[in-house]
Amino acid sequence: MHIMAQAGTVSAMPDAKSHLWRDAAGIALISACGAAGYWLFPDNLALLTRIVAVALLVLSIDLVVGYCGVATLGQAALFGAGAYAAGIACVNGVTEPMTLIAIGAIAGAAAGLLMGGVMLRAHGLAQLVLSIAIVQLFHEAANKASAYTGGSDGLAGLMVSPLFGLFEFDLWGRTAYLMGLVLLLLVFIALKFVVASPFGMLCRGIKQDPVRIRAMGAFVFPVLLKMFVISGAVAGTGGALAAVSTQVVGLDSVSFELSANALVMLVLGGLGTLYGALIGTVIFMGFEHVVSAFNPFHWMTMVGALLIAVVLAAPGGLTSLVGKVAASRQGKP
Amino acid sequence: MIAGKRILGAAVSAMLMGSVSAYADTIKVGIIGPFSGPFALQGKNFQAGVEAYMALNGKSVKGHDIEIIYRDLPAANPAQSRALAQELVVKEKVQYLGGVYFTPDAMAITPLLSQANTPLVIFNAATSAIVNTSPLVVRTSFTTAQTTNPLGKIAFNEGVKKAITVVSDYGPGVDAENAFRKAFEAAGGQVVEAVRMPMNTTDFSPIMQRVRDSGATGLFAFLPSGPPTLGFVKAFNETGLKKAGIKFYAPGDLTQESDLPALGEAAEGLKTSFHYSVAHDSPENKKFVEAAVKAIGSADQLSFPAVGAYDGMHVIYKMIEATDGKQDAKKAVDAVRGLSWTSPRGPVRIEPETRHITQNIYLREVAKDADGKYINKEIQTFPDQKDPGLATQ
Repeated sequence: MHIMAQAGTVSAMPDAKSHLWRDAAGIALISACGAAGYWLFPDNLALLTRIVAVALLVLSIDLVVGYCGVATLGQAALFGAGAYAAGIACVNGVTEPMTLIAIGAIAGAAAGLLMGGVMLRAHGLAQLVLSIAIVQLFHEAANKASAYTGGSDGLAGLMVSPLFGLFEFDLWGRTAYLMGLVLLLLVFIALKFVVASPFGMLCRGIKQDPVRIRAMGAFVFPVLLKMFVISGAVAGTGGALAAVSTQVVGLDSVSFELSANALVMLVLGGLGTLYGALIGTVIFMGFEHVVSAFNPFHWMTMVGALLIAVVLAAPGGLTSLVGKVAASRQGKP
Repeated sequence: MIAGKRILGAAVSAMLMGSVSAYADTIKVGIIGPFSGPFALQGKNFQAGVEAYMALNGKSVKGHDIEIIYRDLPAANPAQSRALAQELVVKEKVQYLGGVYFTPDAMAITPLLSQANTPLVIFNAATSAIVNTSPLVVRTSFTTAQTTNPLGKIAFNEGVKKAITVVSDYGPGVDAENAFRKAFEAAGGQVVEAVRMPMNTTDFSPIMQRVRDSGATGLFAFLPSGPPTLGFVKAFNETGLKKAGIKFYAPGDLTQESDLPALGEAAEGLKTSFHYSVAHDSPENKKFVEAAVKAIGSADQLSFPAVGAYDGMHVIYKMIEATDGKQDAKKAVDAVRGLSWTSPRGPVRIEPETRHITQNIYLREVAKDADGKYINKEIQTFPDQKDPGLATQ
């Protein structure tokens, strides 16, 4: 018994090379799924683009919740910061789409610095409450500053110039989707490196036992703040993508509802794997889309039923199911 | 010989093409609205208006069957709105888009219209600027400025020289504040203070204190319909402002029919201005209310979005008639420029330049009808009101 258990731990030990292969396969799979979406659902590209933008938001939540153990219900503040920054820049004459994405990422990172600076002063429940307070403040600020943001009417009139001067953002949304997909892949690859780096390991250590990390001589606050800034840049990219593809920025992009929904998607997919964020977003939004088209009046009940079913059947999220299946296969001779 | 055959073939096919409208084809109309969530009642009113129109006017125009496709957009969300509109146009191949409750959602759809070759008929979204964003937008609802405008004069004529405005701090609230101030000051009055409350204010007594301290004899208020209105009106009565003789004015969003049972006695005597009252006395309205109540299930739930949807369907039917089932957005919109008809709300007209609806605005008072039910009783009519928000642009 003892030996078998040991052998089990040894085979489960991650060695760098197999990790690299697994990630390469994962990224190839994501690209394949993305391309399949393009060919299979050419009439739903606006929806798929929306999923990509929200996936970036969910990824950013995974960074702080799944890797650092910081609970947040206010991540949309960073998404909205990116969306409004890109939107305001666009209305004021910056129309090159990649520049707008970069502006969104920078604004998101700046908002992440601010939000992290405030939130990391508290712990546990107080931290969660702070995150809600911050997103409400952002929401109210966007509502009040209607001269710049359009307030509750939304910021309209974004005229984005064609990507690389060639590809227009049109009715069919091909450009927006492909641009979003490439952005998502790039961000995903970058984040894979980030979470596998010593810095990423340190974050995971802090999640498990911050006291011990402190005792080891590492500083907790600056590490977490750094992760917050990275997370802000990712969320801001998502926000800017939403702004560029929709050409309108509404108050919903800085809402508590969006933050909470995104967290639900993350929990649905599974925390702390990055894959879980993508799977959760696609399943949640895809399901929502299908049932709300099927029955526009009572679809929310069905979404609720799905969530309860998943949480009861797979408390660790859908990705944990994959792990379980793999483990049971390995257990067999 | 061959050429002759070709000409014959062309002639035959031309004849077939010409008579194509005699065949039963289906024209799809996509309706986007809040059919679930906190605003589900407004969406239900959209649906009731559409179904009432189709029940009274048939489900086909010139032999073209009409199919309605509903899509749910529970709260203001422009990204989702655009995705839904795109899907309706590209995948479902709808020829007409309608509905839309919130302004940002409409703003997200308008950039798509010319490429989609699809007109958008707005059943509700009430910010003036929407119709300027695309020549393919027609609106059959109202704008806040349009329904508020007559109140300034009414208040002044009733002897109010100094007024205070209290509005919820969001787009429509600010619109209402500006419209009232403009009209009231043009009539010769003076707005002594303008209060903007946060959206989720529930304790209104400090605000009533400010109203009292301001020395104004008239109060203009705008809040989103629903529970906040109830609290506001109650606070107005309980803090003694009503007894002190301060006059209360508001646009009809505050006393929409679906809220009246809850408002009850507290609202009695409130004067509001609006484009439609379910109690409007005309044969057209009687027919409409009967059909719409049947569609919605309960008379208490029927309110103004239903009439926007009903008239919206009228416009869409006229567009289909003009284009004879062919997809030509520009021709369709041109056909309804200047269109006038008698709506359940009274005589209306689509303004040729702005494509916004011109209509009567009524001053109404909350009162009990013969059955003891609270209604918005129309007491004065301001005919032919255009949207002042557009006139200034």
